[in-house]
Amino acid sequence: MEPKAVVPSRKRKPLGKVFWISVGWIGLVFLLAIIASWIGLEDPNNGDYALINAGPSWGHPFGTDDLGRDILSRVIYGARVSLIVGFGAMAIGMTLGGTLGMIAAYRRGAVDTLVSAASYVMLAFPALVAVIAIVAFWGHEIWKITIIVGIASTPLVYRVIRAATLSYATREFVTAAKAQGATDTRILTRELLPNVLPTVISYFLIGVATVIILEGALAFLGLSVPAPTASWGNMINESRTYLSDNPWLALFPSLAMFLFLIALNLVGDTLRQSFDVQESKL
Amino acid sequence: MSNDTTATDAFPQAEDLSGPLLTVKDLRTTFSTPRGDLTAVDGVSLELGRGETLGIVGESGSGKTVLSRSIMGLLPRSKTTQSGSILFEGTEIVDAPDATLRDIWGAKIAMVFQDPMTSLNPVVRIERQITESLRLHTTMDKAEAKATAISLLGQVGIPSPAERVRAYPFQLSGGMRQRVTIAIALACSPRLLLADEPTTGLDVTVQAQILDLLSSLQAERHMAVILVTHDLGVVATRTDRIAVMYAGHIVEMASTRRLFASMAMPYTQALLKSTPRISDPSHTRLTAIDGRPPDLINPPTGCAFAPRCDYATEQCRIEAPPLRTAPEDPTHLFACWNPLQTGHAGTVTTAKGEL
Amino acid sequence: MSAESTPLLTVNDLVVSFKKGRQVVQAVAGISFDVFEGETLGLVGESGCGKSTTGRAIVRIEEPTSGEVAVEGRQLTGLGRSELRKARTSIQMIFQDPVSSLNPRRRVKDIVAEPLDIWKTAEGAERDAIVREMLEAVGLDPDVAGERFPREFSGGQCQRISIARALVMKPKVLICDEMVSALDVSVQAQILNLVEDLKAKYGLTLVFIAHDLAVVKNVSDRVAVMYLGRLCEVAPSDDLYALPAHPYTQALLSAVVEPDPEKAASHVALTGEPPSPINPPSGCRFRTRCPKAEERCATEVPELREIAPRHQVACHFPTLRA
Ligand SMILES: Nc1ncnc2c1ncn2[C@@H]1O[C@H](COP(=O)(O)OP(=O)(O)OP(=O)(O)O)[C@@H](O)[C@H]1O
Ligand SMILES: Nc1ncnc2c1ncn2[C@@H]1O[C@H](COP(=O)(O)OP(=O)(O)OP(=O)(O)O)[C@@H](O)[C@H]1O
Ligand code: SF4
Ligand SMILES: [Mg+2]
Ligand SMILES: [Mg+2]
Repeated sequence: MEPKAVVPSRKRKPLGKVFWISVGWIGLVFLLAIIASWIGLEDPNNGDYALINAGPSWGHPFGTDDLGRDILSRVIYGARVSLIVGFGAMAIGMTLGGTLGMIAAYRRGAVDTLVSAASYVMLAFPALVAVIAIVAFWGHEIWKITIIVGIASTPLVYRVIRAATLSYATREFVTAAKAQGATDTRILTRELLPNVLPTVISYFLIGVATVIILEGALAFLGLSVPAPTASWGNMINESRTYLSDNPWLALFPSLAMFLFLIALNLVGDTLRQSFDVQESKL
Repeated sequence: MSNDTTATDAFPQAEDLSGPLLTVKDLRTTFSTPRGDLTAVDGVSLELGRGETLGIVGESGSGKTVLSRSIMGLLPRSKTTQSGSILFEGTEIVDAPDATLRDIWGAKIAMVFQDPMTSLNPVVRIERQITESLRLHTTMDKAEAKATAISLLGQVGIPSPAERVRAYPFQLSGGMRQRVTIAIALACSPRLLLADEPTTGLDVTVQAQILDLLSSLQAERHMAVILVTHDLGVVATRTDRIAVMYAGHIVEMASTRRLFASMAMPYTQALLKSTPRISDPSHTRLTAIDGRPPDLINPPTGCAFAPRCDYATEQCRIEAPPLRTAPEDPTHLFACWNPLQTGHAGTVTTAKGEL
Repeated sequence: MSAESTPLLTVNDLVVSFKKGRQVVQAVAGISFDVFEGETLGLVGESGCGKSTTGRAIVRIEEPTSGEVAVEGRQLTGLGRSELRKARTSIQMIFQDPVSSLNPRRRVKDIVAEPLDIWKTAEGAERDAIVREMLEAVGLDPDVAGERFPREFSGGQCQRISIARALVMKPKVLICDEMVSALDVSVQAQILNLVEDLKAKYGLTLVFIAHDLAVVKNVSDRVAVMYLGRLCEVAPSDDLYALPAHPYTQALLSAVVEPDPEKAASHVALTGEPPSPINPPSGCRFRTRCPKAEERCATEVPELREIAPRHQVACHFPTLRA
C-alpha cells in the first residue's frame, strides 16, 4: 500500500481589521472620485465670492477656500488627479520596468547586462530634478505628468522586479518546464509571473503612495496640473498663504492625502507580509 | 523539577568525576504554534557517562534537534515550555538563568551544527571565530589565543593552519568548514560535544574523515559526544550506545552492539530495513515504511508508531507502551507491546522509575 | 539489455565548460558512455565532479561545449530551438530538491498536465484522465492531491509529483539527479521502490545520478564512477562493488559507512579533497590523491579501456582480477 494521505491544508493567517478598514478607505476614495460629478457636489472650480475662507458649515462641511470654492468638493475632485497620476504612472512603470525586469532576470546574459546598465544610469540621475525639468519643459497636463513620472519610476521598478524574479528564475521548476519543452513566453507568464505577482502588487501600492507624494512636491513648485484644476498637492500648496486665516484649507487636503497614503502603505505591507509567510511554508 | 537540583546548586560539583556527566529526566519540550501546542520532545530520560558516545537516530521531525538543543539550553524562551530536568555536572539546565548557561556554553558543552555555512559568520576571519570563546572563558591573551587557534586547526586536520587562520569561511571547502566548526567547538575543551548531523551533506570520503576526526579527538580528550543523525550507518561503528527517537519519544536505547544484534522495536528494524546497503546485491527490494510520522500537535493515542507498524495489535492503538528493560540486558530499553525477540516479560519502567 | 543491441542513449566525448571570470572550468572533460534500453546506469562521484552538469547537458539544459548526445541514434546536439523542444519530450529529468522543482503557485493537476498543455497532446477529459492515471501510478490519490498546491505535500510526495510530471509524456529516458538525496530513509525507500516499479511498468531507461553509493548500487544495472569531470570506471554494479579496479573507486567504497557495528570503522586511504577543476592535474586527474600514482600518471592521460567484459577502467595501474 502506498501512502495516499496529504497534509491538511494550512489555514491562512487572517489579514486583520486594520487591513480591511484600509481597503475600505481606498475603495471609498476611488468611488467618490469616480462618481464626483453625479453626487451633487458644488462646482470645484467656481466659488461663491461672498463666502471666502469660511470655516466648516452645513452648506460647506469642510469650509471654503480663498476664492470661495467648496473644499469638500475640491478634495474629492482632487483625488482624481492623485489617483490618475499615482495609479497611471505606476501602471506605466510596472508594465515597462516589470516586463524588462522579468525578461532580464530570466534571460540573463547580454540583455540583463544592457538593461541593468541603463537602469543604473537612470538611477544615478536625480529623478526629481529630471522630472521637474521635463515637466517644466514639456508642460504639466495630467497625462504628461503621468507619463513622465511613470517613466521615471521604471528603473526602480525594474530593479525590484528583477530581483524578485531572479530568486525564482534559478529554481528547478523553471528548469523542469524548460526540459518539458515550454517556450520562453510560457515560462515567463505561467511559471514566473504568478510567483512575482505578490511582489508586484505590494510594490505597486507602495509605489502609488510615493508618486502621490511626488505630485505634492511638483505642486509646491507650481508644476502640478494647471490651475484651477484641484489636486491635493495644489490645494496644500495654495493653502500656504492663508495658513493663519484658514487652517481648514490646509487641513482637509493634507488629511485626505495622509490617510490615503497610510492606507496604501498598510495594505501593501500587510499583503507583502502575508505573501512572505506563505512563502516560508513553500 | 526534582529535589536534587537544590542540593547540587548550592555545591557545584565540578571536580566530582564520579557519576554521570549528564542526566535527563522526563524532559518535555513544547512549542506553542498557531495550530496548537506541539510537543517535540515527550518524556525523554537518559544518562550519559563521561567520555561516552551516544548516538541519537530517527527520522526527520522525530525531535533529535530539539532534544539536543534542549540539553544545551539553546531553545528560544518565548513560545517554548519545558518540564523535567537536565542535570549537567550537577547544574540544572532547564529554566537556568542566562548567566549560568553562558558559563556552560562553549566552555563545558559545545555544539557542531549541520550546516557550517550558516553556523560560521561569513564576514569574520576564522581566527576570531575560534579565539572569541577562548578569550571569553579563559584568561588567555591575544597571542596565546591565536597560538591555540592555530594548534586547534592543526588538530582538526587543516593543512598549513598558520595561514588558514586568516581565511574567511567562503574561502574553504565544505569539509574544511566543518573542520573549522569542530575546532571552534573544541576550543575550550568541553566535557560534552553535541554534534547535530555533522556530516549530512558532505561527501562519503569527507564524511569518513570528519567522523574519524571526531572519534580520535574524543578519545584523546576523554570527551562525551552526542552524535545526532538520521543515518544508522554513521552511528553503527562510532558510538557506545544508541537512542532511537520517534515522534518525540525515545523508543529504544541500548549499547550499539546489542541494538544491532537484537533490536526489540519494530521501528528500529523498519529503519534498518529501509536503508539500502552496499553489501546487498543490486535491485534488492527495500522494505519501505508506509505512511509518515504522526502530527505532533494531535499525536495518536497508543503507540505513535502503530499506524505504520507491521506488528501492531489492538492494544498498541489504545495504550501507549511504556519504556521497559529487556530481561537479558538491563541497559536495553524499549517501548513496544510486541517486541521482536525479547519476548513479553520485560520489567516495566517509566521515566519516573520502576512501576 | 544485451551488449550487442544498439544503445538507446549514447554520450560521446561530452565536454562542458563554464567561464568563471577569465578562467575556464571544464566541469565535464570528455566523457563517453552508452545506456541500453531498459537499463539503469548509475553515475556516482564526489560533490563538484560534474555529475549534474553531465545530466543537464544530456537534456541540453546546459549547452555542451563539444561532443555528442544521441537518443535512438538521433543526435540531440546541434538541433535547432524548435526541434530541440520537441526532442526533449523523449528525455526527461527529475531534480534533487522536491520542493523547488514544483511551481509553488500552481495546482498539482496543472503541474502534472503541463507537458500535455505545452504540446497540446491531450485536452479536456482525456487530459484529466491521463493526469489521474499518472498520479495514481506514483501512489497519490488524484481526488485529494489534484486540487492542492505543492506546499501542502511532504518532500516525498512532492518527489512523486515530479515523477508523475516527468512520465506524463511517456519519455524513453529519465535522468534522475539526486532524486532521493533530500529525503528521509523511510521515504527514500518508498521512492526507490516506486522507481523500480515504474521502470518495469513503462519500460524506462534511467540515468541515476547520486552521491550515495548504496542507493546507486540498489537501483543500477551498471555504475559509472566520475572524478573531476572524467569517468574512472564503468562496470555492472555487482562487479564494481565487489571488485573495484580503480584506486578512486576503491577509496570511495572504503569510506562508505554501513549500518553494521561488526564491520570495522572505515579507514579512508584518501586524504584531502578533489583539486579545483579550474586547474586540474596533468595526466590522470586523480594522481594527486592516488596511493598508486607513479611518474607515468602525471604525463599520460589514462584512457577508459576494458579490463573484463563490460568492465572499463581509466587507470594505468588498475587492480586486475586474479
Ligand atoms: N521552534 C519551533 N517551533 C515549533 N515547532 C518546532 C520548532 N522547532 C522544531 N519544531 C518541531 O518539532 C519537531 C521536531 O523537530 P526536530 O528539528 O527536533 O526534528 P529532527 O529530528 O531534528 O529532524 P531533522 O532530521 O529533519 O533535523 C518537528 O515536528 C518540528 O516541526
Ligand atoms: N552554471 C555554472 N557556472 C559555472 N560553474 C559551474 C556551473 N555549474 C556547475 N559548475 C561547476 O562545475 C563543476 C561540476 O558541477 P556539478 O554541479 O556538475 O557537480 P556535481 O557532481 O553535480 O556535484 P554535487 O554532488 O555537489 O551536485 C563544479 O566545479 C561547479 O562549480
Ligand atoms: S592512473 Fe595512476 S594516478 Fe590515476 S588512478 Fe591509476 S594509478 Fe592512480
Ligand atoms: Mg535536526
Ligand atoms: Mg549535482
